[in-house]
Amino acid sequence: MMAVLIAAHLAAAALAPLLAGRLRSRVFLVLAVVPATAFAWLAARGGTVAGPDARSITQSTAWVDSLGMQLSFRLGTLSWVMALLVTGIGALVLVYSAYYFRPDETGLGRFSGLLTGFAGTMLGLVLADDLLLLYVFWELTTVFSYLLIGHNPDRRANRRAAMQALIVTTFGGLAMLVGVVIVGQAAGTYSISGVLADPPAGTAVSVAVVLLLVGAVSKSALVPFHFWLPAAMAAPTPVSAYLHAAAMVKAGVYVVALFAPALAGVLPWRPLLLTVGVATMLLGAWRALRQHDLKLLLAFGTVSQLGFLVVVLGVGTRSAALAGVAMLVAHALFKAALFLVVGIVDHGAGTRDLRLLSGLRRRMPVAFWAAVLAAASMAGVPPLAGFVAKESIVKAFVDVARTGDGTGIPPVAGWTVLVGLVAGSALTVAYSARFVWGAFATKPGVSEPAGIHSPPVGFAAAPALLALGGLALGFLGSAETPALAPYAEHYPEGVHHASLGLWHGLNLALVLSAVSLAAGAVMYWQRHAVARAQRGLRVGYEAEHGFRRTLRVVDRVAVEVTGATQRGSLPVYLVVIFVVVITVPGTALLMAGVGSVDLYGWDNPAQLAVGGVLVAAAILTARSGRRLKAVLLAGVTGYGMALLFMMHGAPDLALTQVLVETVTLAVFVLVLRSLPPRFSERPLTSTRWGRLGIGALVGALMAGFALVASAARTADPVSETFAERAEAEGRGHNVVNVILVDIRAWDTMGEISVLVVAATGVASLVFLITGRTGRWRPDEAIGSALDSHASSHPDGGRPSWLRAGGTLPPDRRSIVFEVVTRLAFHIIVVFSVYLLFSGHNMPGGGFAAGLVAGLALMMRYLAGGRHELNDAAPVDAGLVLGVGLFVATGTGLVPLAVGGAVLQSAVVDLSVPLLGHVHFTTSLFFDVGVYLVVVGLMLDVLRSLGSGVDRHGDESAENGRDEADEQHAQQERLGETR
Amino acid sequence: MNASALVPLPVILPLLGAGLAFAFGRSARAQRVVSVVVLSVIVAVAAVLLTRADAHGPQVMHLGGWHAPIGIALVADRVSALMLLVSAVVALCVLVYSLGQGVTEYGPDTPLSVFHPTFLVLIAGVSNAFLSGDLFNIYVGFEVLLAASYVLLTLGGTSGRIRAGTIYVIVSLVSSVIFLTAIALIYAATGTVNLAHLSVRLEDVPDGIRLALQLMLMTGFAVKAAVFPLWAWLPDSYPTAPAPVTAVFAGLLTKVGIYAIIRTQTLLFPGSEISGLLMWAALLTMLIGVLGAVAQTDVKRMLSFTLVSHIGYMVFGVALSGDDGLSAAMFYVVHHITIQTTLFLVVGLIERRGGSTALDRLGGLARSSPVLAVLFFVPAMNLAGIPPFPGFLGKVALMQAGVENASPMAYVLIAGAVTTSLLTLYAMAKAWNRAFWQPRPAEADGWHRDAEDGAADSTGAAGAAGPATDLHRGPVSVAEPEAAEPSRPLQLAMTGPAAALVLVGITLSVVAGPLFDLTDRAAVDLRERAPYVEAVLPQGGGP
Repeated sequence: MMAVLIAAHLAAAALAPLLAGRLRSRVFLVLAVVPATAFAWLAARGGTVAGPDARSITQSTAWVDSLGMQLSFRLGTLSWVMALLVTGIGALVLVYSAYYFRPDETGLGRFSGLLTGFAGTMLGLVLADDLLLLYVFWELTTVFSYLLIGHNPDRRANRRAAMQALIVTTFGGLAMLVGVVIVGQAAGTYSISGVLADPPAGTAVSVAVVLLLVGAVSKSALVPFHFWLPAAMAAPTPVSAYLHAAAMVKAGVYVVALFAPALAGVLPWRPLLLTVGVATMLLGAWRALRQHDLKLLLAFGTVSQLGFLVVVLGVGTRSAALAGVAMLVAHALFKAALFLVVGIVDHGAGTRDLRLLSGLRRRMPVAFWAAVLAAASMAGVPPLAGFVAKESIVKAFVDVARTGDGTGIPPVAGWTVLVGLVAGSALTVAYSARFVWGAFATKPGVSEPAGIHSPPVGFAAAPALLALGGLALGFLGSAETPALAPYAEHYPEGVHHASLGLWHGLNLALVLSAVSLAAGAVMYWQRHAVARAQRGLRVGYEAEHGFRRTLRVVDRVAVEVTGATQRGSLPVYLVVIFVVVITVPGTALLMAGVGSVDLYGWDNPAQLAVGGVLVAAAILTARSGRRLKAVLLAGVTGYGMALLFMMHGAPDLALTQVLVETVTLAVFVLVLRSLPPRFSERPLTSTRWGRLGIGALVGALMAGFALVASAARTADPVSETFAERAEAEGRGHNVVNVILVDIRAWDTMGEISVLVVAATGVASLVFLITGRTGRWRPDEAIGSALDSHASSHPDGGRPSWLRAGGTLPPDRRSIVFEVVTRLAFHIIVVFSVYLLFSGHNMPGGGFAAGLVAGLALMMRYLAGGRHELNDAAPVDAGLVLGVGLFVATGTGLVPLAVGGAVLQSAVVDLSVPLLGHVHFTTSLFFDVGVYLVVVGLMLDVLRSLGSGVDRHGDESAENGRDEADEQHAQQERLGETR
Repeated sequence: MNASALVPLPVILPLLGAGLAFAFGRSARAQRVVSVVVLSVIVAVAAVLLTRADAHGPQVMHLGGWHAPIGIALVADRVSALMLLVSAVVALCVLVYSLGQGVTEYGPDTPLSVFHPTFLVLIAGVSNAFLSGDLFNIYVGFEVLLAASYVLLTLGGTSGRIRAGTIYVIVSLVSSVIFLTAIALIYAATGTVNLAHLSVRLEDVPDGIRLALQLMLMTGFAVKAAVFPLWAWLPDSYPTAPAPVTAVFAGLLTKVGIYAIIRTQTLLFPGSEISGLLMWAALLTMLIGVLGAVAQTDVKRMLSFTLVSHIGYMVFGVALSGDDGLSAAMFYVVHHITIQTTLFLVVGLIERRGGSTALDRLGGLARSSPVLAVLFFVPAMNLAGIPPFPGFLGKVALMQAGVENASPMAYVLIAGAVTTSLLTLYAMAKAWNRAFWQPRPAEADGWHRDAEDGAADSTGAAGAAGPATDLHRGPVSVAEPEAAEPSRPLQLAMTGPAAALVLVGITLSVVAGPLFDLTDRAAVDLRERAPYVEAVLPQGGGP
C-alpha cells in the first residue's frame, strides 16, 4: 500500500499538465485528493504503528538484488509522524495553491505536477527502509526543489538560487551516498532496519558517519551550507511553505533522527552535530532579526529551528528524542502556517517588506490570528505546541548538562549547549514578535498599502487550520506522549521519565523558558537598539560568497586545465601518444630485460642492400620538401618491400604489393596536381630535435620489441600447417589466396568493405568540394561546350573509336598512345580475369586481378580522358562497388542456408557444354566480389580525383585565365581544409 | 538452425545491405528500406543471441568451417551479445532519427547517397569488433568502423568538419598502427592470434614481456576509448559532425575500445599487474574530462567532454578487476551507450529548435518547447547520476566495488567519481539554466546576457580564458560560422526516436535487477575464462 501511495502521487504528477489545461488553477484541488487520501490512510494506521503496542508495517519488493537494493518501505513511529506531516501539509498547500495562483497563470500544469511529484518523493523518503532507496528519494527531492525554485526562470536571481540549492544539496547528497555505501558494505545489508538493529563499527564507519552527516547538514541548510535556503525563497510561497519549511529541509533532520539511536555513539556524531546545530540556531535567529522581507525572516528562522532540531534529535537521549519529535511536529505546523500567511499578505498587499506593511490586522483578521497563534507557538508561548516541545527539550538538556544522561557529554559542553539553546530561544521569541508586528501592526508613518483585499475563505483556511493544530497539540501532550514513545524507546530510560505536557512543575526548565521569553520580549521592545547592535556586529564574510568563489575557482580551473590539455593541435596529440608508447610499454620492455636473442644478419646479402635502400628512402621521404619527391620516395619503400617479399619466396605478396604501390603512386599524382608543389613551411624548427628524438625512440622501441618478442616464442605458429591444409582442405595451391578467400576470408570481407567505404567517402567529399562526381553519365549530358573539338573530328558527333577528341584539344593528344591503349585494353582485362580465376592455385587472385583491371582503366583514362573511360566502363562506380560487396557477402551467406558455416567453401565440378569439365571452389565467387570492389574503387578514384585531367586541359585551351582562377580558388578551398 | 548460425549475421547482413544500398545509390527510398530492415533484423538476432548465450553458454561460429585456432571464430558470449544488443537498438534509433532529420541526402545533385551504406558498414564494424574471437579480426573490425566513421564525420564536407576529420583520421590511424604492431608482436611471441588460443599460450610468455605486450595493446585501445592522456582528439572531432553521426559515435565507438580493453584484460592478461596504472588513468580521465565539460559554452562540446569523463568510470570498474568491478563497468557501458547517444540526439533537436548549440545563443526553450525540455532534462539528470536512473545505479555499483576493494587508491577513485558526478550535474544545470530557463537573448541590440548562472561570470568561464582557450576552441569555432539558424519545428520522426531512447534509458533502471544479474554472470565468465576458451577450443588449446 505504501508503494501504491507513492506511485499515486507520481501518477497524479504526470497527469497534472493534462488536467491543468482544462481545470486551470482548480487542478490543485483535484491533486490535493491524493495526499489527503494518503493522510487518511496513514492516520488510520496510527493505532498500529504508534502508541503502546506499536509495531512497524513493512513492505518489500525486489529491485536490484545484486546491489542489495530493494523497494522496501517501513512505517514506524518516526516515519509515521513524518509521513503525516508530508501528506497533511501537502494536501493543505495544494488547496492553498488553488487560490494563490491566478487561473490564467502560465506553467500551472508543470508547477502542480512538480509539487505533487515532490509530495510523492518526500513520502517515499520518509517511508523508505533501504539506504539506497532513501538516497533515491533524497536526490529526487533535490531535483524537484531545483525545478520549483526556478518556477519563474526569467529572473536571474531565481535561476541562480535554483542552481545553488541544487549544487549544495547534491554535494551533501553525494557525500552521503559514499557514506551509505560504506555503511551498507560494512553492515552487509542496505536495509535500514537491518543496519539499525546491528550497527557496523570501525574506522571506515566513522568516516561514513561524517559523510552521512554532511548530507544531512547540507540538506537541512545548517551552517556552513545554510545560505541556499534563504536564496531558495525565490520560489513561489507554497513551495517555500512546503519544501523549504515543512518537508524537504526536514529530510536531514529525519535522517539524523533515524540513525541517532544506532550511530549517536560513534565518535564524531555528537560533537559535530551539537556544534553545527547550536551555531546554526544562533546564526539563523540572529540574521532573522534583521530581515525586512517577511519570507526571508521566516527562512532564517527556519534555518535556526533546523539547527535546534538537529541538536535535540541528534543528542541521543530518550527524553530529548521524545521532545525533538514533538518539536518537529510543532515546527512543521507553525512554520508552514506562517509562510502561507506571508503568501496571503503578499497577495493582498502586493509586498512582503515589513517596512511598507501597515494596518493589515484589521483588513485580514483570520490571517492575523493564524499568524499570532503560529508565531506564539514558534516563540514557545504556553499553551501552544511549541511551548510544550521546547519545555521538554530544555528539561532534557538540563539532564544532559547535569549528568550526561547516558551520552557521556562532559558538563562543560552540556551547559554550553544548554546556554546556546536558551539564547537561541530568546532570539526566536524576538523575531517571532517582530514577524507579527512587521506583518500586521499599524505603524506610525507608514501608509497602508493600496488595494488591500482580504483573502477568500479557502485561501486562509490552510494557515488557520495549521495554526489551530498547533494550539490543539498544546493540550494533547498526554496523548502525544504514548504515541511518540515507541521512537524514544530506542534509547535507554534517562534520568527523568520523558513525557510531554503543559505543566511539569516548578523546575529549572520552566525558569529557563521564562528567561528566554523575557529576554526575547526585551529584545523586541528594544528592537532599535538591537538593530544598531546588529549593524555594528555585521560580519564581513558570508558563506554564500564562499560558495560563489568556489564555483568561480572551479570554472577557472576548468578553463585552465582544458586549455592546457586540449590544444586542438594534431602534432601535440601525436607527441602525447608516442610519448605514452615510449614510456609505458617501453619501460615495461626495459624492465623485462632482454633474454638471449638469436641474431643473424640475413638469408641473402641482397636483403641487406634492399634494407639499406628502404631505410635511406624512408629518411629522405621525411626530409623532402616537395610533395612529389616524398611520394616517389615513399613508393621506393613500397617497391623495396615487394622485393623483400620476393626474396622470402612470396611472389603473390610481391605482385600485390607492386600493384598497390603503382596504383597508389598514380592516385597520388592525380591528387598532387591540386596541391602546392612544396609542403608548407612551418616554424617548427624549435621542436625539431624533440620530434626527431621521439621518432627515433619509437623506431628503436619497435625494433627492439620485435626482436625480444620473437625470441620469446615458445610454441609453433598456427600458420605452420597452413600450406598443407590449404591444399588439402582449401583445394588451392596458392596459400596466400586460400588464406585470403577461405581461411581468413572474413578479414578480407571486412577489408573490402573498408575499400568500398573509403572509395565512396572520398568520392563524395571530392564532389562536395569540386562538384566532380564518380557517377557515370551518358555522353549527351556532358558539357556540350567541349564538343567544339569533336566537330573537327571527321566523324562529327557520332560515337567514334577514339574518344579523346571529345575532351582533349588536338595539340595535347597522343594518337599512338591512344591507339596502343585501345588495343591493349582488352588484353589486359582478359589477363586480369585470368589472374582472378587462376588465383586459387597460382599467383593472382581477386585483389591483384582487380588492380590490374583498374590499371587498364587508368591507361584508357590517361590516354583519352573521361569519354574513353566512360566507353570502357559505362557504369556507376557505386554500382560496381555495391554489387561487388553484395556478391562477396552473399557468397558468404549461401553456405549458411545449406547448413554450413558462413564463407565455407565447396568444390564444384561441372560439365559445361563447350567448356567441358569445369572444376573450381565456391570461394571463387567471393574472389569475384573482391575483384569487382577493386575495379569499382579504381573507377571511383579516376572519376572523382582524376576528372580534372581533361577538364583542366579543356579550360586552358579555352581560357587560360579561368584555369588560373579555378586553381587558385581550389587551392584556397583545400587550404581551408588543412 | 542452431543459434551459432546467427552469430555472423550482425556483421554480414549490414555489409550485404551496404552492398545493396550502394548499388541502389540513386534510390533514397530503397536505401532507407534496406537499412531499416537490416538493423531491425540485427536487433532481433542480437536479442536471440543474448538469450541463447545466457542460457547455453557462448555461441561460436568457426568461419569458413576452419576451426580455431586456424580460422577465425566469432563468439557471442554474454558480454559480446549484450554489447551487440545495446548497440543495435541504439543504432536503429539513430537511423530512424536521421531519416527524420534528412541528413541522409545532401540534395538532388549528389553523386551517391553515402550515408546509409556507410552507416551500415559502421555497424558491421562495431558488431565484428564485439563478436570476433580473433585479435587480428578485431583489428579488421576496428578498421571497418573507423573507415566508415571517417566518411560519416566529414559528411557535408564543411571546412570545420574536414579540419576536425584530419585530427580524427590521423590519430585513429596512429592508434591502429599501434594496435597492429601489438598484434604482430603478440603473434611473434605466441604464434597465434585467436583469443582463446592466446589465453593459453600467453601464459608461457615471460612475465616481463607479457606485461610489455599488454601495455602496448592497451595503449592502442586507450586511444580508441579516449582514456587520459590519449583522449584529447575526441572533443575536437566529434562535435562537428551532424547530430545523428555524433550520437552514434559517442554511443558506440569509444565503447568498442572499452569492450576491447575488458575482453583482452580479462581473457589474455588476467591478474591485475596494471590495475594501479589503470586507476590513475581512470581518475584523471574522469576529472580532467569533466573539467573540460564545465569549461564549455557549447552543448555539443560539453557532451563530448562528459563522454570522455565517464569513460573513466568504466576504466575504474575494469581497474578494480574483481567480479563486481567488471559487472559494474559493463552495466555502465550499457548505460553510457544509451545515454550519450540520447543526449546527442536531443542536442540535434535543440539545434533544430533553437538554431544553435551555443549556450549564449539559446534561451527560453523550457517555455517554447516543453517536450524538448523533458527530453533534455531526464537524460541530463541520468548522465549526472541522479537516481533512480541507471547512471546512478552504475555509479553505486562502482562505488560498492571500490569499497569492497578497500585500497586507498580505490577510495581516492570513489571520491573522484562523486566529484565527477557533481561537476557533471553542474555542467548539465548550467546548460539547462541557460538554454532552457534564461530568456532567449534579443539578437538585435548587442545584448549583454547575465550569463553568470552558476555563479561564475561567463567572462570567467569563457572570455578571460587566455590564449590557451582560444587554441582549444580554434578548430570548432570556425566550424560554426552560421549566424543562428532559423528555428524550425520539431518533427515526430526526430523526437520519436529520441524519446524512445530516453525511455530505453529509464527502462534500464526498471530492469536493472535482471540486467545486473546478467552482468554479474558475465563478469564471472570473464574472470573464469574457461567457458570462453572451451567453447572456442573444445579440443583444448594445446601449445
